[in-house]
Amino acid sequence: MSLFFLHPLYLLALAATTVPLLIHLLNRRKVKRIRFPAVRFILLSQRRISRSYRLRHWILLALRTFAVLLLVLLLAHPIFQTGVGLFAGGGPLSAVILLDNSLSMKWSGGSEDFKQAKEAARLLISSLNDGDRAAVVPTNGFDKSPIRLKGEKEILARDVEAVQVSAGTADFSVALARAYELLREPAAQREIWLLTDMALTGWENFTIAALGQHDPLIPLKILRIGGKEEPLNAALKEVKMRGHGVGVGLPIHLEASVVNFGDREIKDLLVQLYIDERNREQKLISVPPKGEVGVGFMLQLARPGEHQGYVALKKDGLAGNPISYFTLQAQDKLRVLVVDGDPQTALVQSETFFLARALNPAGERDSSLFLPTVIIPEGMGSVALDAYQVVALCNVSAVPDAFLARLREYLHKGGGLLLFLGDRVETENYNARLFDSSPPVLPARIREKRTLSEAAAEKIGEVETAHPALQLFADERLRDSLQSAKVHGYFRTDRAGGSTLLSLAGGAPLLVEKRVGPGRVLFFTTAADRDWSDLPLKTAYLPLLQSLVSYVAGGKRGAMDPGVIVGNPKTFTLPPSYVGKSLQVIKPDRKERGIIFAAAGEKASAAFQENDLAGIYRLASAAADIGGAAQMYPVNSPFLESRLEAIGEQELKRKLEPIRAEILDREALEKGGTRTDLSLSLLFLLIATLASEGWLAQRF
Amino acid sequence: MSNGERDYFDPLILARLSNLYLKARWVVEGIMSGIHRSRSKGFSVEFEEHREYSPGDEIRRIDWKALGKFDRYFIKEYEDETNLRAYLLLDTSASMDYASNGVTKFDYGCVLVASLAYLILKQQDAAGLVTFSNRIESFIPPKARRGYLMEILRALEQQRPAGETNVGQILLEIAGKMKRRGLVILVSDLLDEPDEILKGLRLFRFKGNDVIVFHLLDAAELDLPFDGNVLFEDLEETSLKVTTDPQSIRKTYRKVVEEFVDHVRKECRENSIDYQLLPTSTPLDHALVSYLGWRG
Repeated sequence: MSLFFLHPLYLLALAATTVPLLIHLLNRRKVKRIRFPAVRFILLSQRRISRSYRLRHWILLALRTFAVLLLVLLLAHPIFQTGVGLFAGGGPLSAVILLDNSLSMKWSGGSEDFKQAKEAARLLISSLNDGDRAAVVPTNGFDKSPIRLKGEKEILARDVEAVQVSAGTADFSVALARAYELLREPAAQREIWLLTDMALTGWENFTIAALGQHDPLIPLKILRIGGKEEPLNAALKEVKMRGHGVGVGLPIHLEASVVNFGDREIKDLLVQLYIDERNREQKLISVPPKGEVGVGFMLQLARPGEHQGYVALKKDGLAGNPISYFTLQAQDKLRVLVVDGDPQTALVQSETFFLARALNPAGERDSSLFLPTVIIPEGMGSVALDAYQVVALCNVSAVPDAFLARLREYLHKGGGLLLFLGDRVETENYNARLFDSSPPVLPARIREKRTLSEAAAEKIGEVETAHPALQLFADERLRDSLQSAKVHGYFRTDRAGGSTLLSLAGGAPLLVEKRVGPGRVLFFTTAADRDWSDLPLKTAYLPLLQSLVSYVAGGKRGAMDPGVIVGNPKTFTLPPSYVGKSLQVIKPDRKERGIIFAAAGEKASAAFQENDLAGIYRLASAAADIGGAAQMYPVNSPFLESRLEAIGEQELKRKLEPIRAEILDREALEKGGTRTDLSLSLLFLLIATLASEGWLAQRF
Repeated sequence: MSNGERDYFDPLILARLSNLYLKARWVVEGIMSGIHRSRSKGFSVEFEEHREYSPGDEIRRIDWKALGKFDRYFIKEYEDETNLRAYLLLDTSASMDYASNGVTKFDYGCVLVASLAYLILKQQDAAGLVTFSNRIESFIPPKARRGYLMEILRALEQQRPAGETNVGQILLEIAGKMKRRGLVILVSDLLDEPDEILKGLRLFRFKGNDVIVFHLLDAAELDLPFDGNVLFEDLEETSLKVTTDPQSIRKTYRKVVEEFVDHVRKECRENSIDYQLLPTSTPLDHALVSYLGWRG
């Protein structure tokens, strides 16, 4: 049972109930003084009537105050309500039914909550009277179709049926703002009903300021959907990949984080890994209350290219996001031809020992993305360069003419060259063959050798971390390791014709890049081994070499894409030839949507906004056409939407202040209730009060 | 009685006359014009004084013996002896100094007393005056001689309302001073203990006097016609104050006053005392007619 007012602003006039008392007090203060002979008769009279007079006086005062109170209440138009008081009485109603279709409504109670919310919405619609109007507004995705207030119950019921659970978090600010906008038209009664599971996540970012213009006097009735029993509430927080690169045949270590939001331990929770729709591995775990457990999976991919996968949780009665999608871009092994210009009988003294170990630390064929093949300079004449993605020349004294021609051809086909100098290098030969001949391969002319004592060795100064090949060194620890390396032997060069990626502290270039057609050349002015620097002994050496080799190979290292969150856009970047072109994106529900690419710098770019379902999305295009860009990407539900913890009533009311919010249980709605307009009764009572006051006043 | 005649007795019209003699004469001549002049009831005369003859005096009243002695003409003046000695008792306490319509009870009482004195003396009866508050302010014994009226009027004119009332005690005191029985006319608002007042009146009766009580009350004292919140301060007892809403107690007040008046009237009747309630708005002929009714 409750009492509410259709025009509550009039209640401010309740202050007027003090007027009779104020008049009384004012009159008491305003005393006329009269000199009179028969004061004894007055005293006698007063003594006689004193008790009854005072009683009547107070009754009169009470009646006058009551009359003012009744008048104010009458103006405020009170409605008495039993139960939740469905729409009856009090004049035509405009109502907005906000249906929470956030993902939590699906997960809580195994979709039962959303069904119950819809049933509640249907019940509300059936309670509408002639002249009442209502609108059904889902909290997510209501902007796709125009919404207006309407009185046809059948159409409203169809609107309810059309609402589907979305994959995102409810945006109550936007939904409520829309509701207030719909209720801007004046009506005798206006109400907003919000049918929700009150999941905390949706309200965390809610602020009343985000509502914009709204009338806080419109009652907001929040119908709490969902059982009172706390379900097993766990969700996949994320799936991460450990290690660097995803390559064919390489072990890939994935780790899924499972979070238990509940207060009970979850035992025997099945966690399954699916790759390309095949169950690759599964584990049974227990997750402590309010705890997080990492579940590791190892797998190998047999073919290069894109793979889709997901980790799924399985347990009866489990509420929360059970699936986390990802894609894997598997790279084929990179074959690297390493020419050792200073081979030694002791491998460790060999020019390429550290380089080969950096590319394949275990020395096994299947343990690395890189397959280095070391040859001596004599083999350069017969080796088939096309079998390799990268050629590394280390302290090779001179470049034979026959090799030079094949090297140029190789570079023009998109091959990569990694060039290290050393004490055997004949600079005249290099300059003549690789710099002076056209097109030049070297980015700069090699000048004199500079040899320093180990004590006077120069450290690496500038590191161009913005360059794709050195992005790894944005990490401070890696960069520190790299910059701690000391170089005591290097060749000076003329002003570099390419871009300098690494410089020594004294400013001399250490690593310079040059493009030769589609091919890439990375030129080190020092040696690959320990003869001229201690770089091979540094932690940074392995990632530096792997990253440089991957870069000059022209492709990306394989990687895992955790994707985007539902509701967020996905940006595609393609070669500039796609500017103005349209491509189709295939959503997880097989529906296709077009996107048009626009120029963005030297690339074509387009953002796909409609990531409203969790799953794998595909860009419908031939792989060759899009320059090796990924064609698939995953979209995951917001992790916190799995947290079914409900917001506290007081906290919610505090967030909604000054809106008049009332929180009701679903059971209360089912029990129904009635509303009674108290205006007429109050009017009769007011007349009776005024008559009584008049009669009593006459008696004085 | 025509309207013109009524004006003779209108207290407001009388108030405009400054001279008490004129007022009294105005009232008495007004009422006497309508009735037959009665002759003197006295049966003996008593020499009082000589005065020099003046033209117009009756020759027979010349004292020839005095002419022989002093060689001048003297006229012998006699005091009429009458069988009525009237004591006019006027309350001059502060409570009488109240007027809601422009005429105080005191002024009204003065005119009433003056008129009665004029009338009594005109009818050859003896009239005396006693003014009192909580003590006797003046005492003029009743006499029937000519010119005595002016003495009474002078005494009235010198009197101002002041002091508290103690009617009962004063009546007992006056009763003690009265040597011969007669008519006692009390003009007062009787704002004192009614039993004390009646005790005094009964003593007058016990001594064989006739008693007429003219109870003067202002219209406001009868009706309490005030509004709003009022602080009433007593005219006599200044410490007596009360704040009230007159509207709320008016009905009870009227009842209290009525009970008081009824009580006094009943007691007077039981003691053969003529009682006349005279609101100050009442024309004075009512009082005089009442007196003449008794005299007749």
